[in-house]
Amino acid sequence: MSRTDEVPSLWSGLDRKAMAVAEFTVRQQRKRLSTWVVLLVGIAAMGVLTMFYIDSMTRDYEAVDNDGDSYDWDMDGYPNGQERLYGTDLLDADSHPGLLSPPIPPDDASVWVNEDDFDWDALNEGSVGYDDNGDCNVEERTDSQKDRNGNGIPCDIQLDLNRYSGTYLISTDGNVDEDPDDEAYALEAIHRSFVLAIGKLGVVFLIGIFVPLFMATGLIRQEMTSGTMHFMLAKPIARGEVFLYRILGFLAIAWTYVTLLIVLLAIVTGLAGPSEGVFRFADLGVWLSVWLAALLAVMVYSMLFCMLGVLWKHGMVLALPIAAWELGMILTTLGAPDAAILRFSVIGWAMNIVDAGAALAWSDTPLLIQMGMWGGGNGPLEGAEALDIFASTPGLNLSALATVVISSLVMLGQAAACWLLGSTLFKGKEIE
Amino acid sequence: MIPDITQQGKPAQTAPQPSVPNAPVVYFQGVSKSYGRIHALSNITLGLTGGVTGILGMNGAGKSTLFKLLMGKLRPSAGEVKLFGTNPWKNPAPYAKVGFVPEHEKMHDWMTALDFVSTFARLHGMTRQEAEQEAMRVLDFVGLADVAHKEIGRFSKGMRQRTKIAHALVNDPELIILDEPLQGCDPLARTTIMNVIRELGKLGRTVLVSSHILNEIERITEQIVILHHGKLVALGNLHAIRERLDQIPHTIRIVGEDARNMAKDILDHPAVFGLRFPNETELLIQTYHFGELHAELPRLIVENNHRVHLIDNPDDDLESLLNYLAGGSA
Repeated sequence: MSRTDEVPSLWSGLDRKAMAVAEFTVRQQRKRLSTWVVLLVGIAAMGVLTMFYIDSMTRDYEAVDNDGDSYDWDMDGYPNGQERLYGTDLLDADSHPGLLSPPIPPDDASVWVNEDDFDWDALNEGSVGYDDNGDCNVEERTDSQKDRNGNGIPCDIQLDLNRYSGTYLISTDGNVDEDPDDEAYALEAIHRSFVLAIGKLGVVFLIGIFVPLFMATGLIRQEMTSGTMHFMLAKPIARGEVFLYRILGFLAIAWTYVTLLIVLLAIVTGLAGPSEGVFRFADLGVWLSVWLAALLAVMVYSMLFCMLGVLWKHGMVLALPIAAWELGMILTTLGAPDAAILRFSVIGWAMNIVDAGAALAWSDTPLLIQMGMWGGGNGPLEGAEALDIFASTPGLNLSALATVVISSLVMLGQAAACWLLGSTLFKGKEIE
Repeated sequence: MIPDITQQGKPAQTAPQPSVPNAPVVYFQGVSKSYGRIHALSNITLGLTGGVTGILGMNGAGKSTLFKLLMGKLRPSAGEVKLFGTNPWKNPAPYAKVGFVPEHEKMHDWMTALDFVSTFARLHGMTRQEAEQEAMRVLDFVGLADVAHKEIGRFSKGMRQRTKIAHALVNDPELIILDEPLQGCDPLARTTIMNVIRELGKLGRTVLVSSHILNEIERITEQIVILHHGKLVALGNLHAIRERLDQIPHTIRIVGEDARNMAKDILDHPAVFGLRFPNETELLIQTYHFGELHAELPRLIVENNHRVHLIDNPDDDLESLLNYLAGGSA
């Protein structure tokens, strides 16, 4: 047999076999209609969800005038807010800032709709907020009216953490931050909710579980059933290697697919989302963590489902309860990201990675939720409840970086365990 | 039973190295394989090294089971299987020196013959270039060089079989196992495959080829192993077995225009001991000297100007051989 001059080593031999099997697997999957159907359905599903997002980004949000400052009760042409600011009578048409000297020109009513936006720069316990429109700090009000929450600071908002529920108790001095910018809030909150929702539920969960379910369950099993596995197993290659290299070939497709999908989503949401520049670069950190979580999830699930396929010829039947369990677990992460039961899932660890990435990239999300749920004292603003559902604090009580590292290691461990179990089962399998 | 054993099994080697010096290439020691209450193979003891050996048996006799045990696809229920002196179960190392042609018809139809052979050649640790070079060499050897770039899905049965053989030969193996390689092939492919097998035998390789058709095997090799209901019923030279077969009553069937007239001329022959007429055109001759009579028949027919459509030996098939070996008459 002719060989090149290079000295064959164990490593080069392994490398050649790995490449041969992986390449074979990629080409085989590429020739299958089912592969394209699965991948296209995935793209279509993500596309439909993205349409809803685009729609909510281009929609108009009703600006709510929480404090009635834009009304003009006395019909003198000056909105109540402006009259209140200059101390004229709201109910007397003959008393308005135009009679002051020098006379003040009347404001357009729309100036007084979202005029007292949030100005909380951190979600810490203590005093936040500032009375932008000056309707708290007017002279006629007594000191006790100006400091209704009794924290000694006039015209502020007092935040107190409830240690049991983890939420903040908001006590306001009144007329502070009471008229936030509804549209700006809705766009930001809905944008973040969508990125988290499609990242977690769409890419990491749905794509992460269904692509391996349809494509990896049969990697070994289909070959065993059709008898074509005999060709590969007649060669000097260990079955554990066949298992691993088949998965590698599958991952070459699935990882490329997931990467492309995430790049597309990142571009679309980066351009369509609310931002001061052209592109929301701040989101890239979240997408990066979604990407890492999705790659790891696809790897663990493919090893797991391929192993189930080896275990039983109807491996899909075994995979479905697992998919259902994982669905239950991802719903649990939305409400209780630190539940101990999540340690016994794949998706719980993947969600830790996404949540940690989101916590790093958007450190003000808890603040945004808290503001929106309070909504100027008039209940939740549009988008606040969605963001509250999809944003979670990382489940491990660790720093974001440590959470990412530990969760990734755990998922690598899960993949390795499935591979080991799968190859052991495969090795002991008699092949007809 | 025919105790004409030309191969002797050597004592089992205990060292688990991939190649044990002087170990027989193929070695079975008291091997049985059963699925629940069904015994696919029982108590097979066999050692083979060098040359072409035909594995004969009816469908379900255990030929494929024997091969799958050898290829580590199945685990023996009892006994010991050795391939180059090592246990092939959970140990793919000896396959470096083996080529296996499975009986399964399903192939990777989307690949070209060259892709198919070279992809699996790379599992022997060859580089892509080496694999393609070797693949072309073996495809040429089995006569498929001109269609190497065509998809297997568009191949005829015979071409598919030859592609499978090329896949098995790509590592220049010392042992080649072919499970029913002639099944479903057209006569041309059959001849090509038989030539390939004979060629491999001449090159000194150990070749195992299974079939359920006696005269197919006869055209390839004289050295046979006969399996029946999972038992090894004969092992050795086919001619020796046949000669014994000649000693027992044997039937020749002649289909011609006038069976009764023909019978008159043939009855005089000393080898004939009985005649039967199932119908007007058919004559069944019974003889103890099958070979002798078979050689004389054409002369008798031509001399007496009989018109004959067919001369046939209904007994000369595997079934009657098996019946005989199992203790009955042909």
